[in-house]
Amino acid sequence: MALDTSRPGRRSSEVPFGGRTRILAIGGGKGGVGKSFVAANLSYTLARAGYRVVAVDADLEGPNLHTCLGVRNTRVGLADFVAGREDDLGKLLLETPEHGLQLIAGTYANLDQPQPGHLRRVEFLRGLRQLDTDFVLIDLGAGSQAATLDYFLVADEGLMVLQPEPTSVENAYAFLRAAFYRRLRLAVLGQDVRSLIREAVDQRNELGIRSPLDLLREIESLDPVEGRRLVEIMSQFRPRIIINDVERKEDIKLGFAVASVCRKYFGFEAEYLGYVNHDESVRKSVMQGRPLVDYRESSDAASYIKRIAHKLVQSMTETSSSGVQS
Amino acid sequence: MKELLEQDHYEVLEVSRDASSKEIDRGYRVVRSAYEGDSLALYSVFGETEAGAILERIDEAYQILSDSSAREAYDLLCQEKEESKEEASIDANVDAFASVVDDMGQSLSLAHPNTEFREEADVLDEFEKAAGSPLDDFLPVDGAGLRSARIRSDIDLQKVSDVTKISMTNLRNIEQENFEDLPASVYVRGFVMAYAKTIELDAERVAAAYMERVEASRSAQSRGRFLGRR
Repeated sequence: MALDTSRPGRRSSEVPFGGRTRILAIGGGKGGVGKSFVAANLSYTLARAGYRVVAVDADLEGPNLHTCLGVRNTRVGLADFVAGREDDLGKLLLETPEHGLQLIAGTYANLDQPQPGHLRRVEFLRGLRQLDTDFVLIDLGAGSQAATLDYFLVADEGLMVLQPEPTSVENAYAFLRAAFYRRLRLAVLGQDVRSLIREAVDQRNELGIRSPLDLLREIESLDPVEGRRLVEIMSQFRPRIIINDVERKEDIKLGFAVASVCRKYFGFEAEYLGYVNHDESVRKSVMQGRPLVDYRESSDAASYIKRIAHKLVQSMTETSSSGVQS
Repeated sequence: MKELLEQDHYEVLEVSRDASSKEIDRGYRVVRSAYEGDSLALYSVFGETEAGAILERIDEAYQILSDSSAREAYDLLCQEKEESKEEASIDANVDAFASVVDDMGQSLSLAHPNTEFREEADVLDEFEKAAGSPLDDFLPVDGAGLRSARIRSDIDLQKVSDVTKISMTNLRNIEQENFEDLPASVYVRGFVMAYAKTIELDAERVAAAYMERVEASRSAQSRGRFLGRR
């Protein structure tokens, strides 16, 4: 296969996505499933294709996006913003070896209080939108902390990375459930509905509400108008699924199956974006501080990553040209 | 499983209302594999009993939708129900944003920012075809596969011949892989494309796979002749 990526990325005079910075959040609930790997390689692929990209390491308790991207010296980073030492995210940008790809590192966080508070999170997200770039890719940490959920929800695209293992699937569902309820809570106005949601979040609730779908039905029977409004809002909750470390054909099908469970159990759409196969050279590429798409650009895994990038760009191009303003 | 019981057969199989029988078959296979055995996707969400209930529901839906007359009757029933129910319910809303399972093999097109990327997309698309998408095992690659796909679609060979204007002899030779009796490759390719299209298969991909077999057999034979002459 002759994929020529030896050329330097070419800048286009045309402004993509109506000049609006697109934010992608890469999460997965569980640690070690390849979030940073996917974030680094997608960032690199997009930069290579001529987009301006900023990769952000929001995993302040276990940062390693800089390592994946080959950035050794992380003199400034997101921790400076969280601690209030720097308000301008633009001043935290570090250059990476790849032209057009910059990094906001997650190193040197104050481990007593690594995550920003609510107000600071809002400022952070606003600051990201104002960066003069085409794409911002946020590498989220593991778990379902408020900050992690918020970044996932505010992003234009929320990507879930899963490995074909029960632990990863379990944590992914837990994360999606938490994100869904958080989004819903933010959208709700009435007090009655709010307390209903509070009860539903407790998974041993006595109303028998087990899934977001149950909850929406319950809300509708309580307040039909509000119920419909919420369904409308929640229909925009469309996480995307990436299966990483695929070794068997069954693993590939997991993406379809998870999407189906999201639909049937949770009641929301989750699009299967693609998969990346298991590749021994991933480890070597990290040791070299080079994304796999650079280190082994003709490998199968690299091709799958590129395909995911294409699908993303394609769907974002469609939404930005369909005249949706926000 | 209140919500699942309320879903209509199409929603259960996650296909659109105007899905072809092929799409219904595929939808069935995809959802069924999601809920059967020790499917990983169920972990921590559905237990054995629930999965069993869903499977039953999936089988029931497939039984109706895979039978054309049963499906027709069912569609009629749904239509009547919808007409009597003007109020938009939560189901209708949920239904409105539910779309078909994304086909991993769909073609890519890209508008921005440079053509290189687009070219790469095409290359990758080709790559995907070669590497095999998750649903590849359902695409016939040989004569026997074509034949069974045709029988599954309930189309007899004479009908294929009528539609494509390809002689019965050639069609039989395609199914039986009598490559020696078939004309030049470029014709065979055209035949296979037309055949595949008639039974609603991805003609390009079927023909590509089939032609690989033809070429392999033909080049093996010419090698044999060459060696024999020595």
